[in-house]
Amino acid sequence: MSRPLRPLLLALGLAAALVAGVFARVDLRADMADLLPQGVSLSQRLVLDTLREGAAATLVLIGIEGAPEPVLARLARDLAARLTASGAFRLVADGGAGADPAALEQLFRYRYLLAPAPPAAFTAPGLHAALPGLVAGLGSSAAPLVKRYGLTDPPGVFAAVLGAWTGEGRLRQSGGAWFAPDRPADAPRALLLAQTAGGGLESGGAALATIRAAFAALAGGASPGHPRLLLAGPPVFAAEAAAAMRADAHRLTLISAVSVLALLLWRFRSPAVLAVVLIPLLASLAAAALAVQLAFGFVHVVTLGFGMTMLGVTVDYPVLLIGHRKQGEAQAGTLRRIGPAFSLAVLCAALGLTSMLGSAFPGLAQLGLFALAGVVTAAAVTRFALAPLIVAAGLAPVPLRAPERLLRIERLRRFRLWALVPAGAALGLLAGPHGLTLETDLARLSPVPPAALALDAELRAELGAPDMGEILLVPGPDLDSVLAAEEALMPRIAGLEAAGRIAPVTLAARLLPSQATQRARQAALPDAATLAAAMESAIAGTPFRAAAFAPFQADIAASRTLAPLRPQDLNPFLAARLAPLMLHVGPSGAGERWFGVIAPARAADGAVLAGALGATPGLMRLEVKASADALLAAYTAQAWRWLAAGGLAVLVALALFLRDPARIAGVLGAIAAAILLTLAALAAAGARLTLFHLVALQLMAGVGLDYALFFARRQLDTEERARTLSTLALCNAMTLATFGVLALSRTPVLRGIGATVAVGALAAMVFAFLFAGERPATISLSERTEDDPWPR
Amino acid sequence: MARLAAVPARHARFVEDKHLAALATPIEARGELVYRRPSHLEKITIAPAPERLVVDGTALRFEHDGRVETFDLVSRPELAALVEAVRGTLAGDLAGLSASYAVALAGDEGAWRLSLTPRSVALARLLRLVAVEGHGAEPEQIDIIEADGDTARMRITPLP
Repeated sequence: MSRPLRPLLLALGLAAALVAGVFARVDLRADMADLLPQGVSLSQRLVLDTLREGAAATLVLIGIEGAPEPVLARLARDLAARLTASGAFRLVADGGAGADPAALEQLFRYRYLLAPAPPAAFTAPGLHAALPGLVAGLGSSAAPLVKRYGLTDPPGVFAAVLGAWTGEGRLRQSGGAWFAPDRPADAPRALLLAQTAGGGLESGGAALATIRAAFAALAGGASPGHPRLLLAGPPVFAAEAAAAMRADAHRLTLISAVSVLALLLWRFRSPAVLAVVLIPLLASLAAAALAVQLAFGFVHVVTLGFGMTMLGVTVDYPVLLIGHRKQGEAQAGTLRRIGPAFSLAVLCAALGLTSMLGSAFPGLAQLGLFALAGVVTAAAVTRFALAPLIVAAGLAPVPLRAPERLLRIERLRRFRLWALVPAGAALGLLAGPHGLTLETDLARLSPVPPAALALDAELRAELGAPDMGEILLVPGPDLDSVLAAEEALMPRIAGLEAAGRIAPVTLAARLLPSQATQRARQAALPDAATLAAAMESAIAGTPFRAAAFAPFQADIAASRTLAPLRPQDLNPFLAARLAPLMLHVGPSGAGERWFGVIAPARAADGAVLAGALGATPGLMRLEVKASADALLAAYTAQAWRWLAAGGLAVLVALALFLRDPARIAGVLGAIAAAILLTLAALAAAGARLTLFHLVALQLMAGVGLDYALFFARRQLDTEERARTLSTLALCNAMTLATFGVLALSRTPVLRGIGATVAVGALAAMVFAFLFAGERPATISLSERTEDDPWPR
Repeated sequence: MARLAAVPARHARFVEDKHLAALATPIEARGELVYRRPSHLEKITIAPAPERLVVDGTALRFEHDGRVETFDLVSRPELAALVEAVRGTLAGDLAGLSASYAVALAGDEGAWRLSLTPRSVALARLLRLVAVEGHGAEPEQIDIIEADGDTARMRITPLP
């Protein structure tokens, strides 16, 4: 190691230690919920809670295919058993809902309280009518089942109870598992539903790992066939998106790092320059993470990911410093030439980022603070710590060749008015009918690949699982009131279902009636003597012996004195089944509120239900998706307003520091033209503006401002102008390498940011060169001393 | 048993009489039985109501009243044992039968009787005894006595 490099490497070590120290203490979180706002109104809170950890958000849809039906059925059952045992799931439903013997036993015992008996079921004619079916059953191979569940329940009430709890309907049961209906017989697909025990990315990811591991262990021994596991649902999307982003980030970071490295080495011919570039970058990373940790109490991984992308442009700062240094020059000389432009560029970048702090969207505010702290730190480290280190290490660009080439390039500025043509065309395009629209669909922000969405829609349709785009909430002070309120709605809902106007919906009250209803059913049961008399006349003339129905009569007698079944008395398996149908808000005890959840199975059903039930007091219609989209739109609009305010602040700063109207016009014209062209490119590509584009535009504007301000410095000699042009070209190439590579990402969000910044930075470079720099004629006339770049 | 095991396929007519405690009169069912080595068993009932019960390996398929139900016998050990009593006998699979039942063979080749008593408590809760009588390679009668005393006697006549 040469002596002059030692301070540089020490500083690098210090910066690295700083990063390690900060990240050892930072609370890094990955839960998407932490990025979402809390919500102001009750309905907003309900919507966001539902999105975060509602039944829909934690539901994993599982399909198994690629083997004969019995193999799939066994796999599905074994998988369900393993998942249930793992404890990572609140509920695993596999079509064997009645398979839990204790749950089955409880439902059987309470059958006459849980479901209504047909009219006149307990009269002699009613009972008599049930007997031929029982005789036929006893004559069939299913006789053991008929003896167990038929003779003990001639009215067939248990079948109704079981149907409600196991979710009869679309699914086909086979071998104790659910199978998708409407699939070819040679390509069966077993289906399961699992609800993860916790919300959020971490528990979701762990739950998915559990499913995959359990399946791998089971499928290995399965034969014949090669069973495949299909997974869909929000937890899967979240985990896969995170994995795709991580994979992209690793691959792309490597590519861009190598290209940036090559560019730097080519320009400066010294490995030491890498240390120079890394020192402010590492210091800014540490400062940014620390600032966010102090202000928010945690750092989100998304903030870290996007924030680091934004801090990537701070690599420009040290490059601008070294690039403008003459061989052997003392730091004061370089700083005098670039200092004012450098400071103004940093000030403007900081002002622009400050506007993000105003966002009520916690994710955006966190990202703004991260970038702000990072940019300011990187600039300060470059200006105050790096400047002396660079001189000590003797770093400077390789000497330039003859400046005639530069003058030839600068002659292009004579045609700069022509550059207004593409800018004008861009403006025309944006003002026209194919201009930009704001993205208001929250789902489109999702980095989920279309194939995964298609699989999700397919499994969801097969399972008949609601997509929770919309729910109706039936309020009540406690669970039993909610059940009673739902029962009051049930005749109208049943009417809609019977008329085919809505697909059947699941209601908590259909599984577990209110206490009052259960008591009413008990009261309607006949006493022992009445039933015995009815039974005796019912079996007259049939092959049945009187004793055959003694267990039935005993069960009716017992049912009359049972305490009604309450939610808290339910078998755990049944309780888990009921849980998604009830929503609980507020603290337990006084002040708590309960809601019965009605989730329409089809998109159009919500409006029909709401129309039919509209007059019900307190009934809430929660359009989860629409509300979430409206929330997003509000935050996006607010963010754009703050961005405009930030732009205004930058404008004021430019006016105050540049003063000369012509130069202000040149700098602003360059930035405006670059932004217009970028927006037009986005519009032409059919993009809809999201919050991510906003972040990208801000980045791009900051980079463009750097270029324009450095070109706009006046009274520079040819050599210095050549240094500026080549340094900015290098900065631009680095930005293009970084963000151009990002544009190749598979994740739409990263691709959008990458393309926006790459296109914008290239446009900014061209327009800044043309508009912000002086025309060649002016240059030759006003070439003065290089030590006084800013005219007083 | 070895002679039973030597028959690759069977096709027979059956008549089944069920005596149930619940009913004062027995129920008679009739139909056909089909067996193919190693594990295909089919019981086609014609009267009193048509139904079809097909077992292939561990997959059981039950068609009646226009509905089809399928079960995996692995998950229903009691049902599996019941099926095995008939299929194992037809297959001459002594080892398979011994897994679920204590097997006792009486008589000679001319007239034999195979008694199957459940080994597991769970199966014994359902079934008291299965007895198969026959001569040579032909089973002629299967008696099933359930735990609650209900009985079923199936008489089998081979079809050409």
